[in-house]
Amino acid sequence: MDKKIFIVAKREYLERVRSRWFIVMTLAVPALLVLAMVIPIMMSLRSSSSPNVRRIRILDATGGGLGNRVAEAIKADSSTRSDTVTGPTVVVATPAELPKLEEDAIRDVMKPKSLIGVLVLTDSTLAGKSARYSGRNASTISDIDKLESAVRQSVMMVRLQGEGVKPQTANELSRLRVRMPAERVGDKGRGGSGTTGIIVGIVFGALLLMSIIVHGQNVMRGVLDEKTTRVAEVVLSSVKPEALLAGKVLGVGAVGLTQIVTWLGLSAYSANFVMPMIFKAVGGGAAAASTAGAISGPGSVFGGMTLGVFAIAIGYFVLGFVFYATLYAAVGSMVNSEQEAQQAGVPVMLLLMSGWIFLNPVLINPNSTLAVVLSWLPWTSPILMPIRMGLTSVSPLSVTGSMICAALGSIAAVWLAARIYRVGMLMYGKKPSLREVAKWIRYA
Amino acid sequence: MAKLAVDIRNVAKRYEQHVAVRDLSLQVPVGSVYGLLGPNGAGKTTTIRMILDIIAPDSGTITVLDQPHRTPGILSRIGYLPEERGLYKKMQVKRVLLFLAELKGVSGKEATRRIDEWLERMSLATPEKNWGDAKIDELSRGMQQKVQFIATLVHDPDLVILDEPFSGLDPINAQALKDTVVELKRRGKTVIFSTHVMDNAERMCDSVCIIAKGEKVLDGSVAEVRKQHGGRNVALGLVGAEEAVGVVLRDPRLVQRVDDNNRFFEIELAPMADPQVLLRRLIDAGASIERFELVQPSLHQIFIQRVGAAGVETGMSGHG
Repeated sequence: MDKKIFIVAKREYLERVRSRWFIVMTLAVPALLVLAMVIPIMMSLRSSSSPNVRRIRILDATGGGLGNRVAEAIKADSSTRSDTVTGPTVVVATPAELPKLEEDAIRDVMKPKSLIGVLVLTDSTLAGKSARYSGRNASTISDIDKLESAVRQSVMMVRLQGEGVKPQTANELSRLRVRMPAERVGDKGRGGSGTTGIIVGIVFGALLLMSIIVHGQNVMRGVLDEKTTRVAEVVLSSVKPEALLAGKVLGVGAVGLTQIVTWLGLSAYSANFVMPMIFKAVGGGAAAASTAGAISGPGSVFGGMTLGVFAIAIGYFVLGFVFYATLYAAVGSMVNSEQEAQQAGVPVMLLLMSGWIFLNPVLINPNSTLAVVLSWLPWTSPILMPIRMGLTSVSPLSVTGSMICAALGSIAAVWLAARIYRVGMLMYGKKPSLREVAKWIRYA
Repeated sequence: MAKLAVDIRNVAKRYEQHVAVRDLSLQVPVGSVYGLLGPNGAGKTTTIRMILDIIAPDSGTITVLDQPHRTPGILSRIGYLPEERGLYKKMQVKRVLLFLAELKGVSGKEATRRIDEWLERMSLATPEKNWGDAKIDELSRGMQQKVQFIATLVHDPDLVILDEPFSGLDPINAQALKDTVVELKRRGKTVIFSTHVMDNAERMCDSVCIIAKGEKVLDGSVAEVRKQHGGRNVALGLVGAEEAVGVVLRDPRLVQRVDDNNRFFEIELAPMADPQVLLRRLIDAGASIERFELVQPSLHQIFIQRVGAAGVETGMSGHG
């Protein structure tokens, strides 16, 4: 092969990797990804530790000590701990006193910085039907959840004890909770959890798509820059246009590959090591740690993605990138300004997005006819096939076939783009019409 | 016959709307300074681009340095300064030059050495400041031109092609360019430059080719060209009898064309006209003659005479 291709590629690669933009993007995206996963979990931990549920008054008209049990259940919940608030106050009342006491309590709630809310327990509560709560935090879902489960647990305990169950057993039963992570089983055995598979699929597909868009448009901008600064003519007096195009796509593609591998490496690393550490540090306990653990199931690097899937995904990235980047290069060579480029780039963008639009149906049923067809079309397969492979088992034959299709598509794109590029690079002035471009392709 | 650096035979290049070059043949001897002259849109840049294989001719053959111009590696022996200058703006000067040198087949180490040498020589690297480490867009226009010039010559090409090299140059850089061209010639290199400024061509070129509308009007060594067009031109200086002189100079039997510089006229005689008749008529008109000399015309005169206003196609300056 032409040695000059590598000289061009080397320049593209080094100039881009050296840029501040590249370093920031490469480090920021995994950081954002980790944050996107950690923050919701941390938020749920944080918000549930709101001590507000302790600042309530419990009006107990059951006569069975339910109020005290609820108060204890709230105090026992480590997530509501607080150093300044000791716990809910319990007022035992008769049903007759209840309306007045409730009035008073609500008036107290209306005063700033005192009571947060009032919980009313009646015979109906003990019967397992209803309790009443009025408070400032009535729309804070986590607080209401806390209260509800405290009441439910307490009612259950009282009733179980009423049936003669030992207090110890009653306590255990009332706290009983069954966890059921759904694990996916494919041809090759177990692999990752079902829901995280979808999330990882979306994130992964978005990363691939984004990389192709960003780096594809970088190729376009690079070509346009060479054209508008007129450096193209100097370079073309040393290199054939095909070699310049190839070198540029190769160099920018290597930049994209570096970025993706760094992203995936950092993300896998943080999912497996950093996130559990964060959760431990935050004190989220075993629940949070297992959530993080579920993202990286046994035997996989990241969600349902095994190393093999990664390798194939990278292969698809290369094919998809070559396909779109050369088309973008052709667009860049046709036009004379950034604005014109954005306009002329719309068809390429539409082609790119045509895969993304069908992401949802593919995620819901990765074995549908639509999903299969899309994972064979050269312009959608690079984005959708890796996602499908993460979600379901795809036969190696289909993967090979689809990759061959993608490769043929890339070759066609390169052939087309090279012809446009040859002529376009030295054409200044008016943006060419479609008819003119067709002529370039025919005669170049 | 002298060895040829460039031999173009019957080359044509048509575009959709117009013919850029039609049936052009020209020979550039090795070791000469060759001027490619012509008005804007004459096809100079197209011709140069075809020599460099940037665009392909529709027909005809081009031989460069004794090889077909498509021979791999031949481009490494050519240095090219395009009319529209441009470099990677965000790139360091040294890296741009290294890149362009490597593309011309110079090894990285050798290129680095030569670049340092050139930067010093063009006073871009001084003890106070080394512009080699600056980015291109931090440089002044003059400095950028110097960098572009280094890029053209850093691989020590045997054939140097300069497209409108003087356009946009300040007098100091223009002088530096002339000195360099002379030095290149002394070292046996061939220099082709295109221009529409005849003064430069006349002073620097050994041979010229004038093209217009994509066709060769004339070519040959400057001395030859001037001799061919000599004897038909009269340098005339006179005082007085303005009206009567005007009548004489407007006589189509005597005078083909007059370049009136007020007190000095450069006259092209009509075909078959006798200069002695013209002299007698002028004396009869009552003018006092200060100078009457049969001269060789300047390239400028020849250019105007041969190309004329008709040779300049309008609205076609896109390729310079």
